[in-house]
Amino acid sequence: MVAPSATLSTLNRADGSASYQCPSTGSNILGSVNAPVELPGRRDALRPEDATIEVFVKPGTAPAGVGERYVEGILKTLLGRVILGREKGYPRRGVVITLAIIGGENVSRGDPYLILLPALLHTALLALLSASVPLSMTFSATVLAVDAAGQILREPSAEDAATAQSLHVLAFSSKGHLLLNESQGAFDLDTWEKVRQRASAICHGTQLVSADGDVAMAEDVDGRPLEGSLREMVEDQVYRDYNWQINAA
Amino acid sequence: MSSPLVLLPGDEIPSEYLPSTSSAPLRLGAGLRLLSQPHPTTKSSSTPSHVLTATQAGILSTDNKRNAVSILSSPHRRYIPTANDLVIAQIHHSSPDYFHCMITPQAPHAVLGQLSFEGATKKTRPMLKQGDLVYARVLSTGLGAGAEVELACVNPATGRAEPGGLGPLNGGMVFDVSTGMAARLMKASSSSTGEHQQEGVAGLVVLDELGKKLEKAGGFEIAIGRNGKVWVDCSNSGDAAVKATVAIGRCLTTLDQHELTAADQKKLVSRVLRELKIEV
Amino acid sequence: MNKEAPLSIAERDFILDALREDVRLDGRAADELRPLKVTFGEEYGHVKVQLGRTSLVTRISAEVTKPHDDRPFDGLFTIAMELTAMGSPAWDNGRQGDLETYVTNVLDRVIRHSNALDTESLCIVKGVSCWSVRADVHITDYDGNLIDAACMGIMAGLQHFRRPDAVVKDGQVIVYGLDERVPVALNITHKPLAVTFHSFDEGKRVILDATRKEEQAAEADVVFGLNNAGDLCFMSKFSGSPVDAMVFVNKTSVALDKVKEINGIIDKALQADLAKRAKKGMAEESRAENDR
Repeated sequence: MVAPSATLSTLNRADGSASYQCPSTGSNILGSVNAPVELPGRRDALRPEDATIEVFVKPGTAPAGVGERYVEGILKTLLGRVILGREKGYPRRGVVITLAIIGGENVSRGDPYLILLPALLHTALLALLSASVPLSMTFSATVLAVDAAGQILREPSAEDAATAQSLHVLAFSSKGHLLLNESQGAFDLDTWEKVRQRASAICHGTQLVSADGDVAMAEDVDGRPLEGSLREMVEDQVYRDYNWQINAA
Repeated sequence: MSSPLVLLPGDEIPSEYLPSTSSAPLRLGAGLRLLSQPHPTTKSSSTPSHVLTATQAGILSTDNKRNAVSILSSPHRRYIPTANDLVIAQIHHSSPDYFHCMITPQAPHAVLGQLSFEGATKKTRPMLKQGDLVYARVLSTGLGAGAEVELACVNPATGRAEPGGLGPLNGGMVFDVSTGMAARLMKASSSSTGEHQQEGVAGLVVLDELGKKLEKAGGFEIAIGRNGKVWVDCSNSGDAAVKATVAIGRCLTTLDQHELTAADQKKLVSRVLRELKIEV
Repeated sequence: MNKEAPLSIAERDFILDALREDVRLDGRAADELRPLKVTFGEEYGHVKVQLGRTSLVTRISAEVTKPHDDRPFDGLFTIAMELTAMGSPAWDNGRQGDLETYVTNVLDRVIRHSNALDTESLCIVKGVSCWSVRADVHITDYDGNLIDAACMGIMAGLQHFRRPDAVVKDGQVIVYGLDERVPVALNITHKPLAVTFHSFDEGKRVILDATRKEEQAAEADVVFGLNNAGDLCFMSKFSGSPVDAMVFVNKTSVALDKVKEINGIIDKALQADLAKRAKKGMAEESRAENDR
């Protein structure tokens, strides 16, 4: 499995940004974050002590539709759990996250959006880190398809996803909590448990899988955990930003 | 300094990295928070039952003298007002008691008292209009959600413009740099007065170099705001004023986009001055 | 909000003072473009334009659809540009501002109304099916001169794009996949580009390719749309203070030089990309042979 690649702080005007290349779907997503900013007309938010999070997903070659609004909702809920909207400078302000699919296949209308969701989540996270928005923790996510034979397929292509029995997107925090569980299609609980274990192995390696499982092989199949890849992308950027200081020391 | 420790949100700060020299309380800077959950690995009850975790990605920075610890995060981030920071603010409009100023775009205005200037009385206060610039200090960021940021161009305790230079900025030009670069420039310019103790504080020699080269032409005045603004005025340079200002601006913005070594910074200064045909 | 923060008096005055001495903040001459870089992505019609610190991504796509009833021989061509908070924090997501309306209108008139893309060639079956070509412009960084940069992106994209081949057999339209048949280039009739000038100091100073701050400090702007042959397909001066007629006369020749220069850069980038693709295609072919 080829690890995803990303570059942080690629844009000039936005406060934080990230360009993310997902190897399995071939999509290239550009994310930007502006925070904290004033949101005019939305000053009397429902929770004035907290920041308002806005997510906007822009497809590459089509007008935005229902699919985009649906993933925006998912992203907003998840990001709302990790963004510390009560830190200094953030209450009553907005965190505006814009994600544009600028390369690779589009999700055509009616197709499952779930296969792009992990890439969107990772782009949003990296852009938030690039903007130094306070977060309680980081996370990583993956998508798994279960085919008719019960085989679990990691990060399926659009064709695989269309023929799959069920699709599952799971996100785990850096502390191992299950942050997101979006499923689509027909499946039973045993299947879901298997999917969860496999997803956890992909995100964190095998150490978090319950001891009774026979999934020790998962690490060899899936290469290094996503968590580590994401950390490396951020570390690269930090070293680049503080090159002057590190060299001087 | 040993190899720097890079942290991501949620990472705990290992206690060996914290300053341990004094008994004074530890000061937490930006990007850190204290959680009072019990540490799962400590068994003895004598150790405090809370942990320090990062909330931003960056390098852990410790200051043993002040017993402070903070995280140096992305230099491209948006400026968040913090008490005692020096900023360059732009007047947006005024009301009977206050000037309403812009520190960062797309952010709420900060207020600056009409009398918060050195020696200002109802009769002698400066008459600032929309678009004027002031060099001010963040007095307070207020308590509670959405509180107003208050600025002052005077130290309320002494009634003087401390540190020097606070007040309206007349003429000149402002250049935008990243907040990280503004912090570095500030560090570099504040310690350069002590006469070369070391080559280039914070990895910057560009201001010293420009100062040396432009001295003959009349020198320049500079004010650096933590909000990523640098004000430059070369009005002493006579005919070369505009070109000298442009030269300084180009050096700063180039350096902000491309990290350069001390030798390359000197080359940059010479190159830009040559291109603008400024004689040194 | 949809509005950039206003300039300070110091910035406004300084930009003007400097221009009076023929100096621009980034050291350019009045008629000089910022460094321009045009690059192409993996798929056809994917262009990245970097003009100084303004950057954008254009994507061209095509699908089969039904032509309009009143124009049964014409295919469809749309330019979609939406300004998101990515390009500038001053822009609101999902809300159309004045700038967006204005720029979209100019792009439409320079490229679409001048018939740069021959829409008749997009017809498959009269009145039944045709190609609908769509150009999506994503502004990723905004530092002035949106119109010129977007024009470059769209024109480069249209020249780079290849649509799938489609044939009519027994009244049925068959669309072949990109790997089944060599895809078809679009029929470009001419290559119009926009060139925007800004005037200062009561029209005495006129500059090309203004940055965001220069735009804000300017009195008025003039947009020319023309092609390599010098055919003027668009000219506008929507707002601002009056500009002398001689400026229009003098600057059209400058604009023509710039159009040729930009089209040259685009052609070069297209050729380099084509060569790269040919090389890659050959490598893949030989690999396929080896597999056998």
